[in-house]
Amino acid sequence: MISVKNLSKIYEPDGFIAVNHIDFEIPTGSIACIIGTSGCGKTTTLKMLNRLVEPSTGEIRVNNELAITYDPVEWRRKIGYVIQKAGLLPHMTVRENITLLSRILKRDKKHIVEKSNELLNMIGMDPNTFADRYPIELSGGQQQRVGIARALMEDPPILLMDEPFGALDPITRNSMHEELMYMNEKLHKTIVIVTHDMEEAFKLGNQVMLMNKGEIIQMGNEKDFKENPKNQFVEDFVSGQLG
Amino acid sequence: MGNLVKVLFFFLLTTHLWSKELTIGSKAFSESIILSEMLAQVLEENYNYKINRKMNLGGTKVLFDALDGGDIDLYPDYTGTGYIMLLKMQGETDPQAVYDIVKKEYENRFGITWSPSLGFNNTYAIAVRENDPRFKEIKTISDIIPIANKLRFVAAHESMERKDGYKAFKEFYKIPFDDNKAKGVDSGLMYSAIRDDHADMIMSYSTDGRIKAYNLKILEDDKKFFPPYYAAFLVKEKTLEDHPALVEIFELFDDFISEEEMIEMNDLVDRAKREPKNIAHNFLVQKGIIKGKIKKPQLSKGFIAYTLSKKNYLLKITKEHLLLSFGALFLALLVSIPTGVALTRFPKLSKLVFPIINTVQTIPSLALLGFLIPLMGIGYLPAVIALFLYSLLPLIRNTYSGIEGVNSNYIEASRGLGLTPMQILFKVEIPLAMPIILAGVRTASVIVIGTATLAALVGAGGLGEPIFRGVATVNGNLILLGAIPSAILAIVVDKFWEVLEKKLVSPGIRL
Ligand SMILES: Nc1ncnc2c1ncn2[C@@H]1O[C@H](COP(=O)(O)OP(=O)(O)O)[C@@H](O)[C@H]1O
Ligand SMILES: [Mg+2]
Repeated sequence: MISVKNLSKIYEPDGFIAVNHIDFEIPTGSIACIIGTSGCGKTTTLKMLNRLVEPSTGEIRVNNELAITYDPVEWRRKIGYVIQKAGLLPHMTVRENITLLSRILKRDKKHIVEKSNELLNMIGMDPNTFADRYPIELSGGQQQRVGIARALMEDPPILLMDEPFGALDPITRNSMHEELMYMNEKLHKTIVIVTHDMEEAFKLGNQVMLMNKGEIIQMGNEKDFKENPKNQFVEDFVSGQLG
Repeated sequence: MGNLVKVLFFFLLTTHLWSKELTIGSKAFSESIILSEMLAQVLEENYNYKINRKMNLGGTKVLFDALDGGDIDLYPDYTGTGYIMLLKMQGETDPQAVYDIVKKEYENRFGITWSPSLGFNNTYAIAVRENDPRFKEIKTISDIIPIANKLRFVAAHESMERKDGYKAFKEFYKIPFDDNKAKGVDSGLMYSAIRDDHADMIMSYSTDGRIKAYNLKILEDDKKFFPPYYAAFLVKEKTLEDHPALVEIFELFDDFISEEEMIEMNDLVDRAKREPKNIAHNFLVQKGIIKGKIKKPQLSKGFIAYTLSKKNYLLKITKEHLLLSFGALFLALLVSIPTGVALTRFPKLSKLVFPIINTVQTIPSLALLGFLIPLMGIGYLPAVIALFLYSLLPLIRNTYSGIEGVNSNYIEASRGLGLTPMQILFKVEIPLAMPIILAGVRTASVIVIGTATLAALVGAGGLGEPIFRGVATVNGNLILLGAIPSAILAIVVDKFWEVLEKKLVSPGIRL
């Protein structure tokens, strides 16, 4: 479970408030989607969860462990992170990308090979065909799958994804949605996805958080948003006039 | 304890006193090499000395600094050079008076003395082509005034600058030369320039063999402008005290060589391509100074045969060249890669560092060597340091821009994965910057291997040595002996990096 209290981010030196005192909880095994217009603080919120950005106020707990008590690098190693266009390292093969952290942590060699094969099979990419390819030899969808496999290699309880499907064509995006939901049923990770696509948020998220100007305006499921929009902004956003 | 030190000191002093070893230098032209050879051979043959030869060093300043700093013990110079270039004096033209002045001043100021004059005067002389119709009626320098503005005047670089050089000469005689037609060249090249009609008039050395050989005629210095340039050896007074043999030889060499003899010896080296060593040997044998047989000229060889006959020498200078180039490159890599990385971490520092190394890069290589000699003497050290400084810019700049250019997406992905800054540097940033870093290494290699040929001018040897010696003695084979291997070397090293690049750069970013 992820639990966030009173979380804010003020960017110095101009004192811009990117995230303004937000609170939320995400139960273990569920998928939460953060949505909102561009610049509303989604990425900042996500990056504070794995301490790529240090919060200005508030606290973050994962399974009751307080983030701030950890070394940031240690903390990040327990959290999978996937960014748009995957961020695969171009000088490493698919397998090298997936196993980079495990090799740095000096995991057992046999385990590394078996686990990476298992992940490649899970994302539907045959290890014999793809393990030794370089990112440039993969399609956008394949790269995104490898990015997810890499994030899962050390079996983190949490997976953070920043607009993971934004750059994909609709057909690939749809099949990736199915795969992700299927995967989560099996693996039971707690997943936070940033998106700006309302339809995607409703489809994937057990819980949707709509942000505006650094604040969470409304939190709930599709039904809550459609039947009880909190204000005009939420209504406009859900009806597709914003975002 | 104190006594032990005294004994040790005395021991060192006396062994130094009796050590029969001397280092003799020479300037980079035949006459200077021949004179140094003579001194070296008498010391070797008759006094059982071990002689280190540092021939073909750069100009007067390089040699004087080397003597002053103790890198060499002796070298031949000319009274006029000391008088004008070093003492910066002017006006006196009487040979004995000039000799007395330089001897006294050198002793008082530097503790360096002059041997008695060797006998000949190698002053400057204005030479023209004998068969040039414009000079048919002209005998003296004053006679050229009416046609002077059409003349192409060529002199050695040194003579364009000296106090008794082109400018003073022009002013003294009030000759209306066109400055745009006056050019400085390497002293070895001005003779072929006038022979081949690329020049109408040169400021020649009066003992150069090519005056006769190329049918040049000397115009009379009717107003007595050129000061006397009598040759003699320079040595520290202290060295002279420690080596009585030198005093004996200097007496022997007093008034020893006439102008005609010197011209002939120079001609034998410059035109007949004889070895200065053999010419000096023959002269000494003829004069009965040393024992031995007259060395006959060998038949002139083609380039291949010539190179084969110089195999060992070629090997030695190639080794020197590699040691210089890779020594400098290795040092530079050691310094540049961490510096380049550090600059990406402290962008403010880069605003300070880049202007400095950019400036170093723009200093001409000869000038840089000139600055370094007073600080480090002559030989390997100043040469390696100069080459090192030249390779810094491409290496630091490419490391810096290579790492700066890494897409921030990859850095963020790596941080998110849980890599430490060091792991990101070594596993992500450096591998991704590798093609650009290696391009810098290739550039630096080419610069270093090319520039290393200049190291010969400061006594560091290398493939430049035969090039300079060849230019100075008009020996094409000798020039090629240095030029071809250094070109091959540059190509080979470039190929080497190309092969290494395939190993060091991931195929993922080469595709
Ligand atoms: N490092 C930073 N320094 C200053 N301002 C930043 C920084 N990162 C983001 N911001 C600002 O904070 C706001 C929120 O950014 P972000 O969280 O990236 O928004 P988004 O919802 O589009 O992901 C934006 O206005 C952005 O300009
Ligand atoms: Mg964003």
